Parts: sequence; C-alpha cells; structure tokens
Amino acid sequence: MLMNNPTNGYRYGKIKQILSGMLIGATVTLSGCASTGGVEQQVEANPVDPYEGFNRKMYAFNDGVDDYVAKPISDAYKFVTPQFVQTGVFNFFNNLKNINIVLNDVLQAKFQQSAQDSGRFMINTTVGLAGLFDVAKEVGLEQNEEDFEQTLAVWGVPQGSYLVLPFLGPSTARGIPGAIFDTAANPVTYVGAPVQLVSMLNSRANAEGALKFIDEAALDPYVFTRESFLQWRKSLAADGKVDASDDLLDIDEEAALEEGGNAASGQAAVAEKGAAGDTANPEGFTLKLSADNKEFEQVSNSFSSTAQSFDATAKSFEEASTKLDKLKAKK
Amino acid sequence: MVLRSIKFALVLAWYFLATTAYAQEEAATARQVVEKFQAELIGVMKNGKQLGYSGRYEKLKDPVSNSHDLTKIARIVVGKEWEKLTEDQQQKLVEVFSRLSIASYAHNFKDYSGESFVFDSEEETARGGVVVHSHLVVPGEKDVKFDYMLKEKGPSWRIINIIANGVSDLALKRSEYTAILQREGFDALIAKINEKIDNYSKQ
Repeated sequence: MLMNNPTNGYRYGKIKQILSGMLIGATVTLSGCASTGGVEQQVEANPVDPYEGFNRKMYAFNDGVDDYVAKPISDAYKFVTPQFVQTGVFNFFNNLKNINIVLNDVLQAKFQQSAQDSGRFMINTTVGLAGLFDVAKEVGLEQNEEDFEQTLAVWGVPQGSYLVLPFLGPSTARGIPGAIFDTAANPVTYVGAPVQLVSMLNSRANAEGALKFIDEAALDPYVFTRESFLQWRKSLAADGKVDASDDLLDIDEEAALEEGGNAASGQAAVAEKGAAGDTANPEGFTLKLSADNKEFEQVSNSFSSTAQSFDATAKSFEEASTKLDKLKAKK
Repeated sequence: MVLRSIKFALVLAWYFLATTAYAQEEAATARQVVEKFQAELIGVMKNGKQLGYSGRYEKLKDPVSNSHDLTKIARIVVGKEWEKLTEDQQQKLVEVFSRLSIASYAHNFKDYSGESFVFDSEEETARGGVVVHSHLVVPGEKDVKFDYMLKEKGPSWRIINIIANGVSDLALKRSEYTAILQREGFDALIAKINEKIDNYSKQ
C-alpha cells in the first residue's frame, strides 16, 4: 500500500481520520519541536492563530496523551484484532455517520447528494449487514464528506480563530458548535461507554498512517497540522473546488518584490505597513486591491450560488406540483 | 526550370518541417510537462522495490528538477525572509530544498499497486499561469485530486505548486518555513531539512 503523495499527500484524504483520532487525544507522535516555547520575540502573530501560545501548549499536551495513553492502547488493539475485524468495525461506525451526512446535505440544500447518501445508508444497513460491509462503495456510491461545520460555512458563518482543544485536537471557533451538532446527530453518542470506546479506538487506529506521515514530513509539526487542517477544512467546505488564483497572487507578490530588486524591497515594506502617499510601489498597491476584489468576488459568488441552488429547488418543487395537478386532472 | 522549382519546394518543405519540429521540441505545454512527469513517476514506482531508495532518488533527480521550478519554489516558501538571507544562505537553501523535494518523492512513491494519473482539465489563471487539474486513481481507495500550478520559465512551463485534495504544498511549506525562520533562525531550518532528508533515506 502506498500513497502518501510526495511533497504533500494522500494523507489529506486521511486527515479526516486524524481529526477523529484526536478524539482520544491523538496528535502527532513527534515530540520535542512542539514544546519549544522560549523564543517568541520577533514572531509575527498569525491572523488565524491569535492564541498560538495557548494552542502550542495544548498541542504538546495532546501529543503527550497520545504518546502515553492513546497510541499504546491503539497499538494493542491493532495487534490483537485481525484486519477484517478492524475493517468491519470501521465500516460500522462509518455507516452510522451517514445519518449526519444526510442531515447536512439537506441543510446545505444539496438534495441530490442527500438522496445518494440516504441510498448508501440503506444499502449498507441492509445488504451490508448493519454496515459491517461497505457494499455501496463496491457499486460506485462514494461517501460524501459533510458535517455541520461545513454547513455553517455554506451559510456564511466566518471560520473564526484556530483552536487546539484538550483531548479533541484542532478546531476553529466555528468548529465547536459544529462538533456539538455532529455529536448529537450520531447514534454512537446514545449507546453505552464500551461502544464509544471501540469507536475511539477505531478512529485512532485508522489515523495511524496519517500521523506517521506528519511525523515524517513536518519540520514544525504544530504549524504543519494547523495549516493542513485549515486548508483541508476550507477545501471540504468548497466541495473540493480549487481556487486557482489564490496562491498565484502570492507568487506574483513575490515576483514583484524580486523585480523591484533589493532597493525596492524597503519601499515594499513601507507600502505593506499601509503608509499613505507612497507612489513608489504602485504594483504592490494594485496587488493588494485586486486581492480585496477577489475576496468580495468570492463572497458574492458563494451567495449567488446558494441563491441559485435555492432557485433550482423552488423550481423543482413547482414542477412537482404541476405534475401532481396534472395527475389529479387525469383522475 | 521545373527542376529548380522542385528544388525550391523541397527547401521550403525542409524549412517548414524543421521549424515545426523545432517548435514542438521547445514549447511543451503545461499539460505535457505535468503528464511527462507523472509518467516518469509511475515508471519509478513500478520498479520501486528493485531500485531501492537511492535508486529511486537517482532516477527521479532529473524528472523533478526539469519539471519543477525548484529555485522559485524555495524562495516563495521562505516569503519575505528571502530578502534577509545572504547570497550564500540563499544558495544553500535552494540546494538543500531541492534535495528534500527529490527525497520526499523517492520516499513516498516507493511501490506500485495499480495507480494511475488521469488528466481532468486545464485552465489559465488571470496572471499568466496555468492550472492542470488531474487525479490519481488508487485501486480500492478514494481518488486523490492533484492540481498543478505552472508558470512559464523561459521557453517551457514549470510546476510551482501542487495542491493535493485541496491542500496546497506551497502554502503549507511557506507557513512552516517562515515560522521556523522567525523563531529559530536560518541554521535551525537547514538542520531540520537535512534531518528530514536523512530520515527519508533510512526507511
């Protein structure tokens, strides 16, 4: 089995599992780097991570919990449980998540997708023996990834600050109400503690590969986890659509700096601080402007697409009612 | 007279052929650059086991350096900190970063179980770049989306960024590298990169 992609990777497919893995305090198994808290004088505060000091401490704490509690238990589980049982356990809990996925499909007005996900749930619950076998996947029904945090994103709730929660791992201000809703909508919540424990073990065991990848690839595991988590969440909320111009703006900004040469870099810095009346760097200025425009565009795009999908829904309801009328008329 | 015009036609034809061939050789499109690299990568994966880590590293060295603009990537990745580095440090960074890029390919694409890359679409960005959308089919698993961003470098296109399942490699590395530079300085960054390369070569 391969496929951790090179410079970044397949692990992102699995990063969902990291998240759930973190339910029992799983974080990266690499210690050391995360706990360097001493030198922070000239560090620029990251706008998405204003509580970095606190978050790094939480991260180190979770890391410790994972090293001393979660990982040993998970390793033991993997050691004593045959692979087919592990797969069955994974499929079982994964199937239960479909209830929540369907709910969120509807809340995001993705009606076709909700029908598909309901179908998935039905097939796996019946033919797949209560979800132990993922039959739907075999017939080409891939599971969609939806949750309440994404629904909030679609509704236009801002993401808020990045937060590392004790035991639970990475989240955002928007992720907390999201997680509460998701927990409430998962049947596992309402059964006994032993089932929940198995569910957690299963999550941690499945996160193993992704955690190993972070361990191998990250220079600063805290930053690596934060960035990949935030980008992964953003991509899910956008349903995988890549905003092509996003990064290239960055690149061009760099290129503009480069062309200006070293002499201009001072001016660029001034322009960045927002000093008014500085005409020396019109390039930087326009870049900034266009970046703002871009954001406006994105926001208005997302609004119009939501409106469109509502339109489409309304239309399909209308069509349905005219059809019903016709049927009645025939009778 | 007839002979002369035939001669002339031949010369013309030769000239025409020569220039089109020349043009084809020079101007590989962004899509061609990506697909050539992906094919080379799959080729190495197929022989991954026999080659071993160092064999894969050697085989991937040229494909990676020729399809990626590693110098540009290295400087974007450190952001504004680039200007603060001395020329020696800049060179050192590019050199170490290039080795890391090849090493991570050699480490992560180590064997083959039926994977294949599929081209989806191509789009031009407002600022003269091209994005090539593709995905990797992994038997028995979910597809992995790979979006490549390319920029023109001289006559050819080079990969600047890879976005896998929505996560941008460039953005990820950039936040990591600038954070380390600010917190711990240049030497620590180089030491950490070297440590990663070492780990990759051991497994």
